[in-house]
Amino acid sequence: MKVLVSGAAGFLGSYTVSRLLGRGHVVRALIRPESRAPIWPDEVEIFRADLRVHDRLVAAFDGMDAAIHLAAATSGNEDIQFASTVIGTERFLEAMSQSSVKRLVHVSSLVVYDWARAKNIMDEQTPLLNNIYEMGPYTIAKVWQERTVSRFAKEHSWNLTVMRPGFIWGPRHAEIAGMGRHYGRVYLMFGPFTRLPLSHVVNCADCLVSAVESEAAINEIFNVVDGDDIRVWRYAREYARRSSQGGLLVPLPYGFGLGIAQLASFASRALFGKKGRLPSLLVPRRFEAQFKPVRFSNRKARQVLNWQPLASFNECLDLSFS
Amino acid sequence: MDKLKSVVIGCGAIAREHLTALGELKSVEVAAVCDLSAARAEAAAERFGVAKWYSSHEELLAEIRPDLVHIATPPSSHFEIARNCLAAGLNVLCEKPITVDYSQFSLLKQLAIKNNCMLMENQQMRFHSSVQYIQNLITSGKFGDLLEVQVCVSLNIVAADSPYIDRNAPHFALALRGGVVGDFLPHIAYLAYMFTGSVMDLRTIWIKHTGDSPLPADEFRALIKGERATAYVNFSGNAQPDAFLFRAAGTKMRAEANLFEPPRLTLRRVRPGEPALMSLLDGIGEARDVLRGTLAGFWRKLGSKSSYDGLLEFFARTYRALELHEPQPIPLEEVDEIAHLVDRLTSSDHKL
Repeated sequence: MKVLVSGAAGFLGSYTVSRLLGRGHVVRALIRPESRAPIWPDEVEIFRADLRVHDRLVAAFDGMDAAIHLAAATSGNEDIQFASTVIGTERFLEAMSQSSVKRLVHVSSLVVYDWARAKNIMDEQTPLLNNIYEMGPYTIAKVWQERTVSRFAKEHSWNLTVMRPGFIWGPRHAEIAGMGRHYGRVYLMFGPFTRLPLSHVVNCADCLVSAVESEAAINEIFNVVDGDDIRVWRYAREYARRSSQGGLLVPLPYGFGLGIAQLASFASRALFGKKGRLPSLLVPRRFEAQFKPVRFSNRKARQVLNWQPLASFNECLDLSFS
Repeated sequence: MDKLKSVVIGCGAIAREHLTALGELKSVEVAAVCDLSAARAEAAAERFGVAKWYSSHEELLAEIRPDLVHIATPPSSHFEIARNCLAAGLNVLCEKPITVDYSQFSLLKQLAIKNNCMLMENQQMRFHSSVQYIQNLITSGKFGDLLEVQVCVSLNIVAADSPYIDRNAPHFALALRGGVVGDFLPHIAYLAYMFTGSVMDLRTIWIKHTGDSPLPADEFRALIKGERATAYVNFSGNAQPDAFLFRAAGTKMRAEANLFEPPRLTLRRVRPGEPALMSLLDGIGEARDVLRGTLAGFWRKLGSKSSYDGLLEFFARTYRALELHEPQPIPLEEVDEIAHLVDRLTSSDHKL
């Protein structure tokens, strides 16, 4: 299969390209003009373009059978992330609509779910966020990106698969939001026994490739997590130890953190009405979206894609911190 | 009574400030928003409860007849959109810089006069609470004779993650004369003009301090001789921390405000008495002003008040003028003089 990968020079993108090659596919890697290309074999064709501005994107789809859309911003303010993630996607899909490519695997995120309404287990049936504008820039952009992808796919009758990974981690990207926050050498863990929806980059890339290869994945949505056995305490301890950052791990009950956020939110509403503004940790819905103790299921990916994580947690630790 | 109808064309960062301020005005209804990106237009409509959204301003203008069009697109598109609006007899409030060169502005001005339309640039810092306060002190005579104003802007436009130096997607401001500095010059120019009056002479210096960037210049200085006072203005893309300092010096008083942090404002008066004691009292008074302003500024931030402190007042005056059929709050001739001043600041050739 000939596969176009957007965001190919990014963290997950570079692993996805490697996995596609490992599975015998032909890859065209779409990367920004100024990005340094990862070290790939010569057979990887590099197409340099910035989705926000490039005016001949349609050429990127020439001769391709499928596309994996990974390009998205992970930092910056709301406007920067919206422009990179959503407007870039609009332009990417507009180009795709002028090509013969009909197969698209879109990489979304678990942040599109309404964590406040997740009961016990978060799976593909969990309701999506509706009032998104009290969330952070990344969430707003990822929700709009998925909306945009779904609309284009419906309008053009594409074969779409939406993948929603949890916390993607790996070499040099092991600090994840679910761990809590570190202030200097102090790590505050909100809910030390909360299960983490971890998706190691090697496993996540493998799952994306499984999806693009699978007929059964068409018109389906999959949550991509390795499992939910690893809890905050263990992950934070391994991170602190293996990253040689050291520090003091301070566990705080989830309910305590949420209570503080609810109290701050109540005070803000009383003083300023709906316009009040608080740091993300003090916005209850944003707090929940990072730390809520629920279980995470990858049953659908296992059953429909016949997928299972390539590497165990211990193997992932060795891969990430070696 | 029917509400006044507005539309906002362009739904980026500055449009959000427009829409937030418009939401505060009870006499105004935002009838539609528009952006080339359908997703961005729809997101803005959803977020601010606007009934309609468009991805073509021509389609919007064909279907809706607003009392005022807010143009919040990148500068290179201002001329065409404003011309279309004015040709249709619509009032226009355009983001700065109103056009990318002065000749374009002159054409818009002619059209506005011919069709009896409002044409203004967003010069909201004129209505900033600190600027207004200082202006009132000057008008009341408490300042004595005004001698000089300083407008000093520092913004870290050369930081590694700055969108201004993103070579992958060149920033729209790079198309302006003076590059990114040119994008901020209107603020600097109208604040100076407010206090100096018509400009008689000026000198400029443009410097590129950070070599490895796509910016033509990242440092700018100018001396302006006006009919009432002089102004020293600068823009630094390297000095930190970020600030928008406005200073005024008169024969009886000095004032300084950081316009990014309203309402912090410090004043220093000439006072008779033992110099050492007066210096102590002045210092205590200044510390009190700083503390009071800082706490009030923090409170404003918790309440999500924009640092675009003058925008709401500017819009309120604009819509009041429309409602009462009064002249626009910033006269067209002043908008013209300021566009001309920006043109002169970017045309002068003292480069170091």
